[in-house]
Amino acid sequence: MSEPDEAPVIITINGQAVEARKGAMLVDAAKAVGVEIPVFCYEPRLGKPIGACRMCLVEVEGMRGLQTACSTPVARDMVVNTTSDQVKDAQNGVLELLLANHPLDCPVCDKGGECPLQDRTFQFGPGETRILEPKNHFPKPLDLSPLVALDRERCIACFRCVRFSEDVAEDGQLTFHERGDSTEIATFSGEPYEGRFTGNTIDLCPVGALTSNPYRFVSRPWDIKNAPSICAGCSVGCNLEITERDGEIKRVTGRPDPNMAVEEGWICDRGRWAFPALTAGDRLVMPEIVDQVGRRHVRIERAVGDAGAILRRSGIRVAFLLGTPVTVEDGFLALELSHLLDDAPVARLGVSDDGLGPLRALPGAQMHDMDGADVIVMVGGDPSSQQPVTELRLRKARRNGARVAMVGPRPTALDGNTAEALRTVPGRLGDAMDVVAERLLGSSRAIVLWDECDLAAEPVAADALARLVASTPGARAIELAADVSGPGLRALGIPATGVLEQIEAGEVDVLITVKADPTTGPGGTRWAAALNQVPTVIALSTHRSPIVDLAAIAIPVLYGLEEAGTLVSMAGRAQRLRPGAIGPEGAAAAWEVLVGLSHRMGQPLPDRTAAQAFDRMAKRFPAFSGLTCTDLGLLGAPIAAGTGGPAAPARRAEGEGLALVVSTPVFGDATAHRSDALDCVREETHLGLCPAEADRLGVSGSTHVRVTTPFASVLLPLVEDHRLHEAGAYLVLGDPASMAATLLPADRGPVCAVISAPVAQEVGA
Amino acid sequence: MPQLNSVYRHREFQDLLTLSGYERAGGWNGLKATLEMSPDDALYAFQRSGLRGRGGAGFPMGRKASFLPKDSGRPTYVVCNADESEPGTFKDREILDKNPFQLIEGVAIASYGVGCERAYIYVRGEYGHQAEVLRRAITECREAGRLGPDAFGPGAPFDIALYRGAGAYICGEETALLESLEGKRGQPRLKPPFPAVAGLYGCPTLINNVETLAALPPIMHRGADWYAAIGPEKSPGTKIFSVSGHVLKPGNYEIVMGETTLRELIFDLAGGLRDGREFKACWPGGSSVPVLTAEHLDTPLDYESLAGAGTFLGSGGCIVMDDSGCIVRASWRLAHFYRHESCGKCTPCREGTGWLEKILGRIVHGDGRLEDLAMLESLFGRISGRTLCALADGAVAPVQSALELFRDDFVQVIEQGGSPVPEPMGVINV
Repeated sequence: MSEPDEAPVIITINGQAVEARKGAMLVDAAKAVGVEIPVFCYEPRLGKPIGACRMCLVEVEGMRGLQTACSTPVARDMVVNTTSDQVKDAQNGVLELLLANHPLDCPVCDKGGECPLQDRTFQFGPGETRILEPKNHFPKPLDLSPLVALDRERCIACFRCVRFSEDVAEDGQLTFHERGDSTEIATFSGEPYEGRFTGNTIDLCPVGALTSNPYRFVSRPWDIKNAPSICAGCSVGCNLEITERDGEIKRVTGRPDPNMAVEEGWICDRGRWAFPALTAGDRLVMPEIVDQVGRRHVRIERAVGDAGAILRRSGIRVAFLLGTPVTVEDGFLALELSHLLDDAPVARLGVSDDGLGPLRALPGAQMHDMDGADVIVMVGGDPSSQQPVTELRLRKARRNGARVAMVGPRPTALDGNTAEALRTVPGRLGDAMDVVAERLLGSSRAIVLWDECDLAAEPVAADALARLVASTPGARAIELAADVSGPGLRALGIPATGVLEQIEAGEVDVLITVKADPTTGPGGTRWAAALNQVPTVIALSTHRSPIVDLAAIAIPVLYGLEEAGTLVSMAGRAQRLRPGAIGPEGAAAAWEVLVGLSHRMGQPLPDRTAAQAFDRMAKRFPAFSGLTCTDLGLLGAPIAAGTGGPAAPARRAEGEGLALVVSTPVFGDATAHRSDALDCVREETHLGLCPAEADRLGVSGSTHVRVTTPFASVLLPLVEDHRLHEAGAYLVLGDPASMAATLLPADRGPVCAVISAPVAQEVGA
Repeated sequence: MPQLNSVYRHREFQDLLTLSGYERAGGWNGLKATLEMSPDDALYAFQRSGLRGRGGAGFPMGRKASFLPKDSGRPTYVVCNADESEPGTFKDREILDKNPFQLIEGVAIASYGVGCERAYIYVRGEYGHQAEVLRRAITECREAGRLGPDAFGPGAPFDIALYRGAGAYICGEETALLESLEGKRGQPRLKPPFPAVAGLYGCPTLINNVETLAALPPIMHRGADWYAAIGPEKSPGTKIFSVSGHVLKPGNYEIVMGETTLRELIFDLAGGLRDGREFKACWPGGSSVPVLTAEHLDTPLDYESLAGAGTFLGSGGCIVMDDSGCIVRASWRLAHFYRHESCGKCTPCREGTGWLEKILGRIVHGDGRLEDLAMLESLFGRISGRTLCALADGAVAPVQSALELFRDDFVQVIEQGGSPVPEPMGVINV
């Protein structure tokens, strides 16, 4: 779609001369000057208008009959009437007809009270019905999928869901069956509607036809409160809205007023339905301490007091380890506290910055810049599974005319239809730089998406890629960041290394972890051994985990959707979390606990709210210079780009055997595993091999294989997939209980694995 | 009452199902004459002939062809609409059945004019036999080199693809037909852009009805001026009427436009009514047009005269009803058809056609109220003219006109507790 950028023209709407952009649709031009023209099918995010519902009929002088305002472009001197008798008759008529077969079961409909059909009927519809005839009936509801319920009686055939499936997610699953007033939404095959983005059809539905199964009969709109927040599920930073009732999160939806620079209102099903993880059985709800009596529950004041007392002791050596999702405020207060503790080291669990400096110094782009790109090259990664909403942006970019290429070792959902798939040999991204150069050649608005993990493993490729992009005029880069906290903590200068080595050197007496459990992640075995040498662990954690069990003091903290704070997205956009629920009674926000510790140490930090902490932080750290919490508002703001860093020498993969190609699909991560709602779409931890390689290794047909690296040996389900490269073993991570991530070194560097058939007992068990 | 079998060449000549037979009957002369002209001259000839679209709307064919951009940089397509589904209309079927080569020649002529190398013929799903006849004819043309890499001369390719519909009336609407042809659900598109600019696969496309395209070979052979001189100035040429219903000789009649009256068509050509029956009503252009009464019988059959009588020439499907029929029941029957065939895209049509049918059904079955008539009247304007395509207009026109012209019949049916005419066996299944 081309953006009309000409000077505004004057048109007349309801007798008033107003300015409007030439070429804009009348419905938008009217809205811009405060005139509402009712619509159902119109939704510009779904593509060109289709003019089906006929709700937006208006009178345009000189045009025969009524025109659909959704599809009539503004032209100079146009005279429009949206309130004439003829228009009112049309609005009455369309609404009367829309209700002809609508069951009017609003009192038992989840949409009741927040339903565009109700609202339009009140505002623009007839006051009473003239319909004596029996309505068409369908058995109801139908499960379109385990997550989406379909009530065919309520459907007004506005096409929004079908267009989303067809034109946005491009999964081609939803369609209409039958015709006329028997029209019903269905999938082609009758199979469940499954995908990564299906829940958006619920947000799009202007009636109660598509509703969320997990939210079914949970609440009425007058019993809920909504808060605009940010998804902490991956580094995209999708804006979303949280629905709370009685202090608990009941629903997550896309923002009604989307952030067009980030997610455009589309969120993935993982982001939508992961919230039950907050009330999962293993949620840490009460602080625990270990004293002479043993391990026991205490109130949070006591736990923080005890921890403060430990930190007050003179001469103790403290270290901080930050995990995910940790906000910028959490990181800032950990740094502040560390200054009170002889500049105790603060590290984050994540990918080391080594060698990524040249890429991070490139001009950055926001997600929506992809809309106007001429070439998009992805180097490494698998955004469809690791940063899902990126997929929708890429599909849109392709529809807008961009040439999209995927250069990397993994097959992705974008291959073929959206992206030219240029498969690389695992561990040899560097070899593909000629191909990347070819794709960038001649472009003027290229965007390169590079994967943090994959390029950290290949610093030489990272440097080469950075040079390529830097030498391409107009090219910009977006980092496909591996975790949600990394970009923010990096902006505070918090490194991904150091603490482990200090622990191993016996230099740490007290380790404070914030949402971090290193024992189940990369280098888990090494971490577990090191932690045994730490006299005192103070764990701030959302859920039970091995580190909670070995902590002297465990303090429950709030999780993304429950807390206030700031996250920085992979595109470098700082956005505010707003609490959508009060969280467990015994828990507090991590930053608040850290402030509490300073008070107990007798050196109180001044911050009383996350906003105050942000503003104080922004004055100190150049990345946030000039920003205030208020500036971030509802849509956030980009932070200053990093200054980069030096290139690094090549890294050799550790171990023998096949190069491990690692992905962490968000649909399979720890949070996804804690949410029952995601049962039907969860990706399980496994090892993938191409059938030929599985055959060569003698494991073809096995259900499981033993995967051994210098760091661990783990039994994993085997998936044979002909799309995989034979020189790689594809490790799909997720479930922490599988311990699969411990196969990787602590710095997540390149590693090879030996794949062997399991001994009989292992599989039988 | 002049008849002229210009499109129905098979009524004058034998053996038109073989290429050689068609050639002996003067076949390909039209294309030969066309290929001697430049495409622009051919287009000009289409325009000068005054030929109007025979599918129903009556839009001048040559003007439509002239709307196609010549420099779009994309392929141009010609699509022949053979989705003849209008109730009471079976004129195209006879062309497909008996004179397929003339259609192929017509398609080729139009294609040459607009620069199309690949045309499509979209045949109604129910026309299985006709599709088979056409397929054989196309194959024979290919074998003889009439279609293929050198169809329009050495190195000037042209070919025709046959596509069968799946039984949806809406696919006779040109943009729904294009959607269906693209493999999608058949439903009309938002216009503009019109098919001439962005039609099949988004490319410039000329869509014409079978009868329109089959009229081209004689026009090009004998000259546009010859054609333009037949019949009235604004409605030149011949037109095939399909007469059905309560007549003794139902069938197709190709007549010279404007020189035959409705009365002559029904009472002379189609043999008149059964003994003892009086003429009651007639839908002259398929079921989607306003109905006419006995007082309109002397209307000449051409676009302008029929419009003057308050109806349309439409597809030329003339449905005749004598006094044994019930206009209320007939209206209900038609409403049922349109409800069944509404694609469901636009609200007024999707819901309105159903509501119309339900109200009329109630009246026919004895549960009508006099106030229903006012309600019907208020509904017409809320359905008609408010949708993407003309299906809704076609659903309203016969009912609205019936209520206007036969209001007494409606009142009588309501007051007497139902239609006096019993339900025909097995006709309607609601």
